[in-house]
Amino acid sequence: MPAFSFVQPSTTDEALAALRQGEPGETVIVAGGTDALFELESRRIPPQRVISLRHLPWRTLSWAGESLRIGSTLPLRTLESDPDLRRRIPGLWQAVRAVGSVALRHRATLGGNLGRSSPASDLVPILLALDGEVDIVGIQGERSLPVDQFVRASRTTALGPGELIRSIAIPEARPSAFLWQRVRPANDISQVGVAVAYSPTRKEWRIAVGGVVPRPVLLPQAERLLSGPSPDAAELRAAAQEASMRVPFSTDRRASEAYRRQLVAILLQRAVRAAGSRPSPSGAP
Amino acid sequence: MTFTVRPDADAKLRGQVAFATDRGVPGMLWGALVPAPVARGRIRSLDLGPARAIDGVIAIGPADLARLLPGVTGAVERPVFPTDRIQYHSQPLAAVAAPTRQLARRAARAVRVDVEPLPPLEEIEGFDPVHPGPDRPDVIAHVLARHGDLDAAFGSADFVLSETYRTAGVCQVALEPHACIAEIQGDVWHVTTSTQTPFGAREDLASMLGLPEERIVVEGTWVGGGFGGKGAPLVEPYALLLARASGRPVRLALSYREEFQLGRTSLPSVVRIESAVKGGRIAGRRVHWRLDAGASLPGRDFTTGYAIGFILGPYRIPAIEMEGYAFRTNKPPLGPHRAPMAPQCVFAEESHMDHLAARLGVDPVAFRRAHVWKEGDRTHLGQKVGPFGLDRCLERAGALAATWSQDAAPHTGVAVGVGFWSTATGAGGEVRLVLSPTELKIIEGEREIGSGSVIRGIVAVAETVLGISRDRVRVDYHDTRSAPFDSGVFGSRTLAALGQAVQKAALALRDELGKRLSVPAGSVQLAEENGELVAVSGRRRAKIRSLLTATELALGGLTGEGRHYGVSGEIDTARVVEGTFYPYTDFTGAAHVAMVQVDPETGAVRVMRYAAFQDAGKVVDLPTAQGSIEGGVAMGLGTALTEETTWAEDGRMSNAGLLDYRIPTLGEIPPIEVHFEEGFLGAGPFGAKGLGEPPIIPVPATVGNAIFAASGVAMTELPMTPERVARALKLL
Repeated sequence: MPAFSFVQPSTTDEALAALRQGEPGETVIVAGGTDALFELESRRIPPQRVISLRHLPWRTLSWAGESLRIGSTLPLRTLESDPDLRRRIPGLWQAVRAVGSVALRHRATLGGNLGRSSPASDLVPILLALDGEVDIVGIQGERSLPVDQFVRASRTTALGPGELIRSIAIPEARPSAFLWQRVRPANDISQVGVAVAYSPTRKEWRIAVGGVVPRPVLLPQAERLLSGPSPDAAELRAAAQEASMRVPFSTDRRASEAYRRQLVAILLQRAVRAAGSRPSPSGAP
Repeated sequence: MTFTVRPDADAKLRGQVAFATDRGVPGMLWGALVPAPVARGRIRSLDLGPARAIDGVIAIGPADLARLLPGVTGAVERPVFPTDRIQYHSQPLAAVAAPTRQLARRAARAVRVDVEPLPPLEEIEGFDPVHPGPDRPDVIAHVLARHGDLDAAFGSADFVLSETYRTAGVCQVALEPHACIAEIQGDVWHVTTSTQTPFGAREDLASMLGLPEERIVVEGTWVGGGFGGKGAPLVEPYALLLARASGRPVRLALSYREEFQLGRTSLPSVVRIESAVKGGRIAGRRVHWRLDAGASLPGRDFTTGYAIGFILGPYRIPAIEMEGYAFRTNKPPLGPHRAPMAPQCVFAEESHMDHLAARLGVDPVAFRRAHVWKEGDRTHLGQKVGPFGLDRCLERAGALAATWSQDAAPHTGVAVGVGFWSTATGAGGEVRLVLSPTELKIIEGEREIGSGSVIRGIVAVAETVLGISRDRVRVDYHDTRSAPFDSGVFGSRTLAALGQAVQKAALALRDELGKRLSVPAGSVQLAEENGELVAVSGRRRAKIRSLLTATELALGGLTGEGRHYGVSGEIDTARVVEGTFYPYTDFTGAAHVAMVQVDPETGAVRVMRYAAFQDAGKVVDLPTAQGSIEGGVAMGLGTALTEETTWAEDGRMSNAGLLDYRIPTLGEIPPIEVHFEEGFLGAGPFGAKGLGEPPIIPVPATVGNAIFAASGVAMTELPMTPERVARALKLL
């Protein structure tokens, strides 16, 4: 790997100061580094600088009533080990555990995954289904964007030069599920990932699908076909059919378009059933 | 905590073992290869100038070979660099060396290659192999054998089942890539390398470089996994030539991407198998096999003429015909991957057996047992079958499968598959044992490649013969200059061949000790007393120190030599029409049982339970033998379900990396039960049979049969990925 300078700020101000220096194209920002490492190795034109966010005080996790805020550099392994996550937001717990291996999750972060914005991300679909909000800090100030507006295309986000993801907010705990299909179950890139969540306050479903180029998508048309927290089989079939037709799947080396359409129809029904059958977050039947 | 099952385990787990990639010498240069930019084409020009213009860079190409290798005259079978035609993508066209790895890579990129690209030849079916026609791959091997009245068998059959199977190329995926350090020491070309066959590498290098063998020294390092991929030299010739050209030691290690692109892996094949059935028995079988051999076929038609026999199966069939073609395509040369092509051939054959049984409505295990070879039967080529425990393995596997079937959940299937193999002997092996007052040294020329056969297996042989405790036995590796000859760690032969040499040498030592103690040789065992070795026979005890002469003490101890040259059986050459076929040394059977669950809506397959019944002859060291079976099954699950090399239209390997070439992880590997069947003795010490390759062979077939049992769909293509199963289930 070619030589580069390595900057490791420990406060937000230091991090922003580091971002002010040098040209954006010459800088690579690293959280856990599990994905960036590939790029650093294979880049023909090496970066001049790598800014690591690991020493920032952003490895946080806090519940406030029904909402959850996750620091962008919190290791995924810490997130999945939170005693309440599995019970209150099961879909997020499942999605986090779908990422890589245990060893990888000790380094990988939610912010990094979002910042890299892969079409095959296992985390973006569930963040979409949970109406996640991205909290951004930058040289020009702070702002917040829904995940749906933050993620634009493969490796492309709304994050500007001089901006960093500080945390991700989940507005409310929801019955939810994330299901995926892979060639190699335990550790692979998902061919299709389906995230579903039911909002008890808005009384509506959110359905998001990954494994779609250029980015994971929400499926409002399919969502509207599901009436209550426990939709019947006919509604499920209709939503599955809608999703299968609607998602702009394509064929690549991981799966054919036809197989992805089959998968999304099956996984969507299973995910909604799984989410619907779970006790509600408050524990009430 | 220390790990005692394997003497090398502790150091390996702590990262204290130096593999070839960990080695370096002061003043060395780093080598890099210049890859062909296309899979097929003509080289118009190769300009090393821009690389040579970089300070400190040495670059060599085909034009330099005459100067560097005065011993090579005329055309060589395997030129180091192509001069005219590019045969596969990334084929090394030139090599560079520089003081740093980055600089070497930069220099390799700086070389200007001008080629006239041609469309790569990749297809091995859809044309007549006898007259392939223009723009079709050449036939580089053709084998044909037949026996019995095939026309009568097919003409009078109750029914004929004809099936076609397609298998993908799989890679060895050793943890450690190919790596070496070359150095010219006066007249001697010295290479320190990760190799399964130091003496074989020396022989190959001598022929490639036009040097006498005595001028080449191959020093093996610990091998970070071989699986067949580290036999024939790969990086060594380039490193040696760069060392020669630069006058400096040169280290050349492949990146993991290059490991996939240049490694000698297995390649796709197509199997057509037809069986004529009459009265519930197989009356005739005809197989036609096409093998993609890539740019060349090492060992000529060995792979073709050996593996094809497995498509007929270890079964009594009165009339047979087998015909195989190997084609030269624009892929890297075919290499040996653990039991070369046998898991693929057996996948076709054993799946076919279950499909035949289903058609007949009979139990597939009983159907096999009605046909399976027993000792004294004749093989398809007329060789007499030796002690063979497959029927017994089948019986036990069938009983277990019946038990598992009782608690099979919905969409779950249990099935059996078998495989057989034979322990290779190679060109023989020799060892020297030296018994000192405190230890027994095994002087030999093979490095441990991971299976345990060297570091543990041959040690266990010495333990068994002499009664010595394992911590008093030391494997003392020597390079090709001073080690006794051995033909290599391959073909499941190490314990069988080198182990027999150890057995003979240990027996010679025991005889000598018996003489010196004036007791019957067979009664002598070694024990320990106050840190010294003692020879014990009944009540007689004597320190080894007291039994050695002054000269022996000065030379380090009492020496015993052992040699083993295996013998193979004979085939009936009247049955061979064309090509070369090979006899078996011994007969090693295995019957496996798999329980799988098939998702009827997605095609996903989960292997829930697995068991292997292995005909082992005699188990010499139980943990090592179990490890080999578990590892073979795990590797076979990859071939069965997830592993395949994929090739882009331009002939480039499109999944050259561990992200998209998927070996199984522990998450996919179910609990594996291992059972041994002993007593049907094989070619190794005490009747042991080689266990390196046999455990991988039945796996794809067994898993495929379990999918068949679970879902009713016959899988005919490897690997059986969820999407392929979904297509077979007609979900798409």
